[in-house]
Amino acid sequence: MSTHRVFNYAIFVALALECIVLATATDSFLTTANLTNVIRQNAFTAILAAGMTFVILIAGIDLSVGSVVGLSGVFCADALARGHGLGPSLATGIMIGVLVGFFNGVVTTTMRIPSFVVTLATMLIVRGAAFKYTDARTITGLPASFEVLSTGAASAAMMIIVFVVSWIVLTRTPFGRHVYAIGGNEDAAWLSGVRVRRVTLAVYTICGATAALAGVLVASRLNAGYPRAGEYYELDAIAAVVVGGTSLFGGRGSIWGTLAGALFIGILNNGLNLYRVSPYDQMVVKGAVLLAAASLDRWRTG
Amino acid sequence: MLLRAHGLAKAFAGVHALSGVDFELRGGEVHALVGENGAGKSTLIKVLGGAVVPDAGSVRLDDRPLAVGDPRAVRRAGVSIVYQEFTLVPDLTITDNIFLGREHGRLWLRRADMERDAQRVLDELGVRAAASSRVRTLSIAQQQMVEIARALQEQARVLILDEPTATLSSVEVDRLLHVVRQLRSRGISTIYVSHRLEEIFAIADRVTVLRDGQHVLTQDAAALDRTSLIRAMVGREIDQEFSSAARPAASTTAPAVLEVRSLSAPPRFSNVSLTVHAGEIVALAGLIGAGRTSAALAVAGAIPAHGEIYLNGEPVRFRTPADAIAHGVAYVTEDRKGRGLFPELGVDANITLTYLSTFARAGVIDAARERRAAADAAKRFDVRAARLSQPAGTLSGGNQQKALLARFLLKPRALVILDEPTRGVDVGARAEIYALMRRLTAEGTAIVMISSDLPEVLGIADRIVVMRDGRTTGELTRAEATAERVMALAS
Repeated sequence: MSTHRVFNYAIFVALALECIVLATATDSFLTTANLTNVIRQNAFTAILAAGMTFVILIAGIDLSVGSVVGLSGVFCADALARGHGLGPSLATGIMIGVLVGFFNGVVTTTMRIPSFVVTLATMLIVRGAAFKYTDARTITGLPASFEVLSTGAASAAMMIIVFVVSWIVLTRTPFGRHVYAIGGNEDAAWLSGVRVRRVTLAVYTICGATAALAGVLVASRLNAGYPRAGEYYELDAIAAVVVGGTSLFGGRGSIWGTLAGALFIGILNNGLNLYRVSPYDQMVVKGAVLLAAASLDRWRTG
Repeated sequence: MLLRAHGLAKAFAGVHALSGVDFELRGGEVHALVGENGAGKSTLIKVLGGAVVPDAGSVRLDDRPLAVGDPRAVRRAGVSIVYQEFTLVPDLTITDNIFLGREHGRLWLRRADMERDAQRVLDELGVRAAASSRVRTLSIAQQQMVEIARALQEQARVLILDEPTATLSSVEVDRLLHVVRQLRSRGISTIYVSHRLEEIFAIADRVTVLRDGQHVLTQDAAALDRTSLIRAMVGREIDQEFSSAARPAASTTAPAVLEVRSLSAPPRFSNVSLTVHAGEIVALAGLIGAGRTSAALAVAGAIPAHGEIYLNGEPVRFRTPADAIAHGVAYVTEDRKGRGLFPELGVDANITLTYLSTFARAGVIDAARERRAAADAAKRFDVRAARLSQPAGTLSGGNQQKALLARFLLKPRALVILDEPTRGVDVGARAEIYALMRRLTAEGTAIVMISSDLPEVLGIADRIVVMRDGRTTGELTRAEATAERVMALAS
């Protein structure tokens, strides 16, 4: 289905150029240490953005993912600190995300409140819960084995698995096609027999699950349950999706565009760091890139 | 000559939408512009209205060159277009819309002034609405009048109406034609773009036919008849627009596929009863707003309603369209753009969406099977696309409609509800859709056709059920039905 491979070539070209420029202009970019670092730093954003792609494809938005990162990390860390095994602890963390995502989906579909408002509310509720649960303290004393999850290789593997699975689901399953159809024309999808509510519910649940996966990865990286973890990550994820060429109006975009978008922003950060650009200037540059990407999209679609 | 276009040419991506078209408009005439979809009508009026810059050629108004590519300047010069999709702001009042961009008052709006002027124009046009009401609360026909009022307020001398009656009921059409005649008597010229030949003969002084981007003829309407006009449009003879006579009338002794008894969903409709037999085409006639679409949506599971619905004798109650589809009931919308098509998705994905899971193995779509099914359906339903992956939004109206039919009819259906199946579809595609309906009935499918096109209703239906104000008001067999009897039940 070539229509589903509507790759936004621009972002791939931009990503390639970015890598070439950094590889030739700096000595440090193409080192194993730096590339590992880039992957470790950006795997969470990329995983978050994968789930966000589903939501944005149905013309929704999920602002709660950053808070889910915090809460799922806290729950996972707490379980570990209480001496539970790695498996059950991870499951606990992921479960939190699934529940929050499911809740987002139920409220959006049954009460017909715009997802922006629903997830803005859960963003606050979930973040509040993370602080409440930990008394705003950081949970430490986690087993060293937990850190294995966030090594370069493990992060890369997790990210690749998430993206390959997302790609198969979006392009090779009826569910994925239904996601595009709902974003393209929800009414038409419903009249054509698509179970719109069910698909929407599943989409928010998927997004919650990927957010929780990112959350446990972040906790592993910090080797702690930090209630502030993931603050503003929702914005990074949305930026990655948009830079990757997925339309905020839904129905158009690709998962590989999102991966490229996430890596593009991540490598941009990395490059700016290598050039010792101040964090303040970095924010300005990122904002400009986001605007450029959005206007490119406008221009492309007319 | 009021308006004179000479040698207009325009190509989009190498396709000639217009090649060397001449067009002349006299002062105070109604000039119909006709042609099949893709003939170049839309491009021509967009060039005249300044929205499209031609590759070659010129447009002169009063023998002075008209600005090209500047819609505002063209409007100021006195040429106004009313597009099919209105350009009104729904949450502003009629007055605000009429004066949008040309408000009276430099710093403060002179509201009373504007309101008075707006009301005067509305009254002239016979629109029964207060100038202070919001556009959102108006019917489509009234909104169209607001567009025309805006043109008059701008002192338009040339009014271009693009398929103005596509979504109007026949009473509303009559009112519009009356207004156009009234404008003509005031010396305002109208370019009238339409697919509906009856209207053209009712209103036009002259007719210009375009075909494949070329000018075919311009003649006095009085010198043309239906057959010669159709021939000019399609470039071939359509001997029988409705060859339903060739089809034996479906017998009402065939088993009833659908039986609806006192179905109600107030305030949209109540007490709707209807029976459709296998192989039968039942037309649901009536004016716009009679509740026909709502009743159909209720049968198809898209609107909750109470009452009894029997499918092949079994009582059913569909909670979603998906349920209805699973039981062999398909509803094909009247609102192709709004509720039918996925413009971004390919023709293939548009066709296969409803039955996608049947092409999946272990939850994964078998791309080859899907492609084959889409290609077969495209051939069977005569969907003409450059390639199957072409975004459906880029197809012509007729091909979009056929793609939509293909989606719902990909698998055999017991009952198909076609809502205005030929609206905005050119003559050639229309004939193909009728042929398709005949093929379906021959296979035993029951068809309910909602149509506001009276000749179509009379020409193709075995029985006609008429609705008015949300109720079924009567039923006529094909033998009994005349335009007068249908209209009597409808209004």
